[in-house]
Amino acid sequence: MTGVNPNPAVFLVMANGQIKTAEFPDCDELYCRFMFVHGQDWVVTSGLEEGISQFTHKSHDERQLFVWNFPLNVTYKSTNPYGWPQLVISCYGPDAFGREIVRGYGSVHIPITPGKHELDIPMYVPVSTSRFQKFTSWFMGRRPEFVDPKVVSQGEGRDVTRVRSQGHVKVCLNIVTRDMKKLGYDVTPSDVTSVPVGVNAGI
Amino acid sequence: MAEVHIIGQLVGASEFPEHSLFCKWGIHAGGAWKLIAGLKEGQTQVDNPENEEFAYWSHPIDVHYAAKGLQGWPRIHVQVWRQDSLGRSELYGYGFVHVPTSPGTHKIECVTWRPIGTMQEELTQFFVGGCPQLKNADLIYSGADRYKLRTTAMGKVHLKLNLIFRNFDKYGVEC
Repeated sequence: MTGVNPNPAVFLVMANGQIKTAEFPDCDELYCRFMFVHGQDWVVTSGLEEGISQFTHKSHDERQLFVWNFPLNVTYKSTNPYGWPQLVISCYGPDAFGREIVRGYGSVHIPITPGKHELDIPMYVPVSTSRFQKFTSWFMGRRPEFVDPKVVSQGEGRDVTRVRSQGHVKVCLNIVTRDMKKLGYDVTPSDVTSVPVGVNAGI
Repeated sequence: MAEVHIIGQLVGASEFPEHSLFCKWGIHAGGAWKLIAGLKEGQTQVDNPENEEFAYWSHPIDVHYAAKGLQGWPRIHVQVWRQDSLGRSELYGYGFVHVPTSPGTHKIECVTWRPIGTMQEELTQFFVGGCPQLKNADLIYSGADRYKLRTTAMGKVHLKLNLIFRNFDKYGVEC
């Protein structure tokens, strides 16, 4: 680790963790892709931004659980919290004919506060908008999917999509931040009692 | 100037009588607040959940405000709509919440309501669909002139907001 910088220009956010498990109805095998999506002021300094997990089978007990235990590790630097990184997960698995289809998309912002966080990401798949498309996709066996999974992290243009939510993915992330306080950013409530009296300049 | 980042998600909705819900949302802030970056309004996807009572939208929110004063602290207003099998949209609920005034992660439940009409209008709604709507959407987040309304309870909208404040302590603001 480099020495202490009294006047930092950037802050660092490190996220370590894993994609732990998933619960999905009506499917037996799954793999997932993850990607971290971030705004333009953000730069990855170390770690992987994208990856693909192993193929996992559902457990044959009452838990009906998919276990990935897949490591996540990424460090960002940025000057501005706008465009805070999001974790985008998409799950794929074979259907009854062995064709690989998408089973769910999901996204979540990585936590802003240091510490350990358990995240539960709801997953959903797009569905056809018209009855004709519904019929052709059923007949041809081609389900609608997003060309670029990154769209689930964007706020624009969602009003034209129809989705069906199914399943959850559980992710654990440990967050460490550096120099955010020095740049004036508060991510936890300040301790009001410790403010010395008489030094405030007034707003 | 003090800065506020609102980063989070419009997670979804629960306890509504029907599925296929979507939400129009917006953030309203006073004159002392300036939007620097991000979208302050939007519309979510339509979710028809597989087997759960919860509609998930996972709609990202990421806005950056600069504030000259505390008056007009931002509030988020939502309108929940339902899309029926014919593609028609009907209003299911209005609601608003203030953005919390402490930094950190907040899980927020926003209760919603909808206006009710006369007996005849309710009867028409039962058979034909449609619902009385507010002409002036400002009423969602303002208290003026509410007394003329008759309303009824609808479901809840769930939000998860991460708040980052900057330079509030420099101005002596404790939050």
